[in-house]
Amino acid sequence: MERIVKANDREYNEKFQYADNRIHTSKYSILTFLPINLFEQFQRVANAYFLCLLILQLIPEISSLTWFTTIVPLVLVITMTAVKDATDDYFRHKSDNQVNNRQSEVLIDSKLQNEKWMNVKAGDIIKLENNQFVAADLLLLSSSEPHGLCYVETAELDGETNLKVRQALSVTSELGADINRLARFDGIVVCEAPNNKLDKFMGILSWKDSKHSLNNEKIILRGCILRNTSWCFGMVIFAGPDTKLMQNSGKTKFKRTSIDRLMNALVLWIFGFLICLGIILAIGNSIWESQIGDQFRTFLFWNEGEKSSVFSGFLTFWSYIIILNTVVPISLYVSVEVIRLGHSYFINWDRKMYYSRKATPAEARTTTLNEELGQIEYIFSDKTGTLTQNIMTFKRCSINGRIYGEVPDDLDQKTEITQKKEPVDFSVKSQVDREFQFFDHHLMESIKMGDPKVHEFLRVLALCHTVMSEENSAGELIYQVQSPDEGALVTAARNFGFIFKSRTPETITIEELGTLVTYQLLAFLDFNNTRKRMSVIVRNPEGQIKLYSKGADTILFEKLHPSNEVLLSLTSDHLSEFAGEGLRTLAIAYRDLDDKYFKEWHKMLEDANAATEERDEQIAGLYEEIERDLMLLGATAVEDKLQEGVIETVASLSLANIKIWVLTGDKQETAINIGYACNMLTDDMNDVFVIAGNNAVEVREELRKAKENLSGQNRNVSNGHVVCEKKQQLELDSIVEETVTGDYALIINGHSLAHALESDVKNDLLELACMCKTVVCCRVTPLQKAQVVELVKKYRNAVTLAIGDGANDVSMIKSAHIGVGISGQEGLQAVLASDYSFAQFRYLQRLLLVHGRWSYFRMCKFLCYFFYKNFAFTLVHFWFGFFCGFSAQTVYDQWFITLFNIVYTSLPVLAMGIFDQDVSDQNSMDCPQLYEPGQLNLLFNKRKFFICVLHGIYTSLALFFIPYGAFYNVAGEDGQHIADYQSFAVTMATSLVIVVSVQIALDTSYWTFINHVFIWGSIAIYFSILFTMHSNGIFGIFPNQFPFVGNARHSLTQKCIWLVILLTTVASVLPVVVFRFLKVNLYPTLSDQICRWQKAQKKARPPSSRRPRTRRSSSRRSGYAFAHQEGYGELITSGKNMRTKNPPPTSGLEKTHYNSTSWIENLCKKTTETVSSFSQDKTVKL
Amino acid sequence: MEERPQHRLSRLPDNSALKQQELPAHRLYFTARRVLFVFFTTGIFCLCMGIILILSARSTQEIEINYTRICANCAKLRENASNFDKECTCSIPFYLSGKMMGNVYMYYKLYGFYQNLYRYVRSRSNRQLVGKDIKAVDDCAPFKMSDNKTPIVPCGAIANSMFNDTIILLHNINSSVQIKVPMLKSGLTWWTDKYVKFQNPSSKNLADEFRGTTKPPNWPKPIYDLEKKDPRNNGFLNDDFIVWMRAAAFPTFKKLYGRLNRTHHFIEGLPAGNYSFNITYNFPVTRFHGEKSVVLSTLTWCGGNSLFLGLAYTVTGAITWLASFAMMAIHIMLKNKKISVFHQ
Repeated sequence: MERIVKANDREYNEKFQYADNRIHTSKYSILTFLPINLFEQFQRVANAYFLCLLILQLIPEISSLTWFTTIVPLVLVITMTAVKDATDDYFRHKSDNQVNNRQSEVLIDSKLQNEKWMNVKAGDIIKLENNQFVAADLLLLSSSEPHGLCYVETAELDGETNLKVRQALSVTSELGADINRLARFDGIVVCEAPNNKLDKFMGILSWKDSKHSLNNEKIILRGCILRNTSWCFGMVIFAGPDTKLMQNSGKTKFKRTSIDRLMNALVLWIFGFLICLGIILAIGNSIWESQIGDQFRTFLFWNEGEKSSVFSGFLTFWSYIIILNTVVPISLYVSVEVIRLGHSYFINWDRKMYYSRKATPAEARTTTLNEELGQIEYIFSDKTGTLTQNIMTFKRCSINGRIYGEVPDDLDQKTEITQKKEPVDFSVKSQVDREFQFFDHHLMESIKMGDPKVHEFLRVLALCHTVMSEENSAGELIYQVQSPDEGALVTAARNFGFIFKSRTPETITIEELGTLVTYQLLAFLDFNNTRKRMSVIVRNPEGQIKLYSKGADTILFEKLHPSNEVLLSLTSDHLSEFAGEGLRTLAIAYRDLDDKYFKEWHKMLEDANAATEERDEQIAGLYEEIERDLMLLGATAVEDKLQEGVIETVASLSLANIKIWVLTGDKQETAINIGYACNMLTDDMNDVFVIAGNNAVEVREELRKAKENLSGQNRNVSNGHVVCEKKQQLELDSIVEETVTGDYALIINGHSLAHALESDVKNDLLELACMCKTVVCCRVTPLQKAQVVELVKKYRNAVTLAIGDGANDVSMIKSAHIGVGISGQEGLQAVLASDYSFAQFRYLQRLLLVHGRWSYFRMCKFLCYFFYKNFAFTLVHFWFGFFCGFSAQTVYDQWFITLFNIVYTSLPVLAMGIFDQDVSDQNSMDCPQLYEPGQLNLLFNKRKFFICVLHGIYTSLALFFIPYGAFYNVAGEDGQHIADYQSFAVTMATSLVIVVSVQIALDTSYWTFINHVFIWGSIAIYFSILFTMHSNGIFGIFPNQFPFVGNARHSLTQKCIWLVILLTTVASVLPVVVFRFLKVNLYPTLSDQICRWQKAQKKARPPSSRRPRTRRSSSRRSGYAFAHQEGYGELITSGKNMRTKNPPPTSGLEKTHYNSTSWIENLCKKTTETVSSFSQDKTVKL
Repeated sequence: MEERPQHRLSRLPDNSALKQQELPAHRLYFTARRVLFVFFTTGIFCLCMGIILILSARSTQEIEINYTRICANCAKLRENASNFDKECTCSIPFYLSGKMMGNVYMYYKLYGFYQNLYRYVRSRSNRQLVGKDIKAVDDCAPFKMSDNKTPIVPCGAIANSMFNDTIILLHNINSSVQIKVPMLKSGLTWWTDKYVKFQNPSSKNLADEFRGTTKPPNWPKPIYDLEKKDPRNNGFLNDDFIVWMRAAAFPTFKKLYGRLNRTHHFIEGLPAGNYSFNITYNFPVTRFHGEKSVVLSTLTWCGGNSLFLGLAYTVTGAITWLASFAMMAIHIMLKNKKISVFHQ
């Protein structure tokens, strides 16, 4: 299938019936809402089950409960869900309308007309302006920039905030902004059918009898934003649902919590249990009918067609299934949802997770996962924007053996010092960046004193980079940086008086302490990952040729002139100090070149450029050749600023036995650097394994070696602290549990990861990774992030959480059990895909340790109680079966059965499920170990469930047999008989309500006034409804529906009935109290201890928990990490990205005119490399 | 991006105790002292209550005479349904060794009669019984209509199976003089039953009202002839009928048949001596292997109760005490053993 689109010809395009640009993410319209929604709702097992039950109840032969016992709750549930779905869909409609009604300028009838987005059709030519959203997938025709270039930001698509370049075909870029010519443009595009590959496009433009091939570089996708380009024209290729953006918006995976799954399994078990009970009772009924009922036939003969006891047993089976269904009432599902909703609101309302600087509160975007937050074992974190602020600041430097910048203190004190200490005042200079702060005045003094080394150092910073400058309307200097490190360095130089002003392809103009100096740019030795350095060769006004270089210390130090020996050792001490602080370092050096030598070299370079074979190798050799005998100037230390509180959060989460893995698309160096900066990697780790194999065999070998190494060291360490990897017994035996002594870290890059994720190496990787304390995966693609998450999810059976901020984290966020998005950033993709969002990484601690823990705790308590309650409530019918000829007679009034779960006992347990707290939030923050029961699934599991069931069975026994015994030969106070069925029903019902209320009162550990109101209120409501339904008035109106008239009045005035109720309560509650008391005394849990302790010293603040060491011990380690891409050097020297204010001179010594379009292809190739295997399930919403 | 301060304020969550989960609350602690206190008091209470109940249960006097076998000939006669119109009486003499003081109640007691079967319990029409619409027999299956399609009044299985023995208690003052012990047939029912739940159609002549209906198949006479002498005890308002219609919870039950009218000779109760029950044996129990008996009983402050409740209270009290001693022992042991200091 291919698509043929003709420009400016709607009639022609209409015959293909391409989708127009209207999108709808909404599910229903007013007419379709009811049928579709009902259909969807009854697809849920629970709802369908209750529907079946309702149908069963409508069959008179087996209906043992009237229909309203099921239909009332069912209708309630269905209505509530329908209302929620309707509101959700309403908002989708609204957002659809908002998007569909955006305006864009469309070329219709040779005129530019404003048209709504939804009316744009394939083949239309539309005009985009700067900072506008792109309406559809366009073929770029022309733009305001030279060479038909235009810049787009693709943050919504792939999460990268750097700008991408797109270039129009030269034939179409000539059209410019000429409306008439554009209107006459009638090219036909033949291209691939709509698909979801963001980085691929294949097509052919036929125009004016010639064909031009089209690729991804000519296409602007919907969802991008046009930047730095005042206008551009494009022809719509794909519209609306056909756009790549919409094609990518796969269905969001429906997430379920492990409690959900357990609950579903338990519900199935319970159904099995019910069927067993039903069978027992049915057999009982058959026997009874044949033995006793047979003789009883005079009083109650059988209807026609039910003449055998077996058939009677069969009917009884169904009747009992109906009666006993209240073990799993519909209200269970509703209550669980309500509780989760409540917990979500608590997250939304939490002021301690509100980030005032960006005015972003935390948000629970999914309301169904809260208790899973209390069970997290693995956290997968993105680095940039999540752990770090994505802000680079120039912190310190070492120039000519002297350190400038603040003195490192203990981190806690450092913040105080920075507050006290005056930053260097830069305000005297006009061209400063106000954000910049530096805390050491000595550097300023050195500059003023004119130290040549210092000047040279700053000159390097101002000259050797790829930054572009621009002046905005206010005359301020704006730097366009593509690497934040460079931005930091150039800004630092600018504030110290070496201001980079402007550049042309062959000059760089800087202002050196007030005087404008123009350097001639002779050569640009670009950065790449193997060179790990970049250099410029410039001629200064004095005519000297200089090579300025910056790069990794490990590389640069090898290139130094031998005379640098002393300085080198001094600087490298400084570098390791910087590295120890987690700063990113670059070494700075220069070389004086001699004219003749340079000319020779340059000629060789030109030759090499012209070469057709092995060009890259030749060039690399030449670069190598000139970058030697360098003179060391010093080193810079840039801080990749961590978000606030990251170190504490990481420390606290690892105390809670949560493993944190860093998955980043960034380079190994930067990733390791951040690992050290946030204390996930430390120098006292026993070993750090780096896996960087290039093929499967190498990777496997490295993994094996690391494992051997690890277990070998283990054997040697005999008295080490034993860290149990995971205390819980895993059902999966594919992973051999091993205890590991000591701390290990694993660092693996994306390339190796691709091999390691292959099936046979997977287990090795996982095993090794799980034994390590820290795992850092660098250079991973979004898809790999998701794969790693899936791996752990699948084989470790662990609950995972992924946290990230960018669109590249979307796949990982979606595949983890819980996805967390960092909000308040520009791109919204991560947040939109996430289940929870907040502005700062540090809130994760509160989310998990407080909200998650509480949610889990409450949900487990709720479920325990709920199952207990309903077993106690329902099993009474089973016991009664033995005394009523298994005739499916209920013990209670039908109304009581209807109302028990939804009115009499729903609110107290909801209040407990929403408000209960075992320990205060402060305590759970201070004592992360409290989190462990959730990970080990201790609070609600099959064992707990059985205990609850046994508890329920015991209670039902007490509830039934105590009244039974008491009623055996009883008479009322006035001699009347009170052992009638109705009195028995009222007694049982009253006892049950009181017993479960006392039980909830015991279970509630945090009594707010709401709990009081609900518990007392429920009992009061029970009695008031009881008396109302047993009143004369209501009987007078509906004598058949309310036959219990006068019952409450007569029964509940009898002393002996109250004695029965009291005894039942005592007998069913006291054993529980004994059990709890003994458990707390003999096997106290941590939270019990904290409760006790909390009570003991209510006033005293808890002592702060073991704070992590913030000082890192330093050892020789390179802090080199540099976020830079290859290819920008070429862009600069070719001058393509410069404004054509004055056209670049065609002549020039170093002008490189080979292969004029190669640079852009290179650049595009390199920028898309990291996202090349973009995951398929990426959701993008507009 | 400039944020307006109002905007900032509006997104900041409220600082209310509810929203911040800081509601003032009372935490429930199971401290040893509290738990033990509760247990000891509960134990004492249960023990006392148990002893009181046992004592009072023992103070009641009760005579039960099972006449299923004694009146064997009648039982045999009733087994054949075709003999329904043949009367059969039976006299059962017994000796009351001690006098029964106070109010004496006479009950009939049935064994193995399942008044709690699902279909049985439902087989009645409250609309009919309240006198509103005597032809409302919808719920009465399988006794809705007679064979000639006239509605049965009172319809339903419960009404049809009504206990219809007549029991007369005679006191043999000496070998020749027998006096009938006066029994009240009023006040046997709940007030609400008599005055709300059961109402005759409002008419002087009940028979007219019930025209076009038929009596239940097992009944010898129609509902309006149950007690012709006393209109307030006739029709649906008949006490025996109302008592029967209040279905029992278990297959063994006793229902009130009469109260001793404490006059003349019986002002203090039943004096010791020879008595006999004269029973018109109508109700067939051997057909369903049931039994029936007649019970004379006095009451205590909490009605007529069996030993069960007293025993249950005593046992619960005793267990509670045992448990509290055990718990105390464990607690003291643990307290001595370790210093419960919270290790941070």
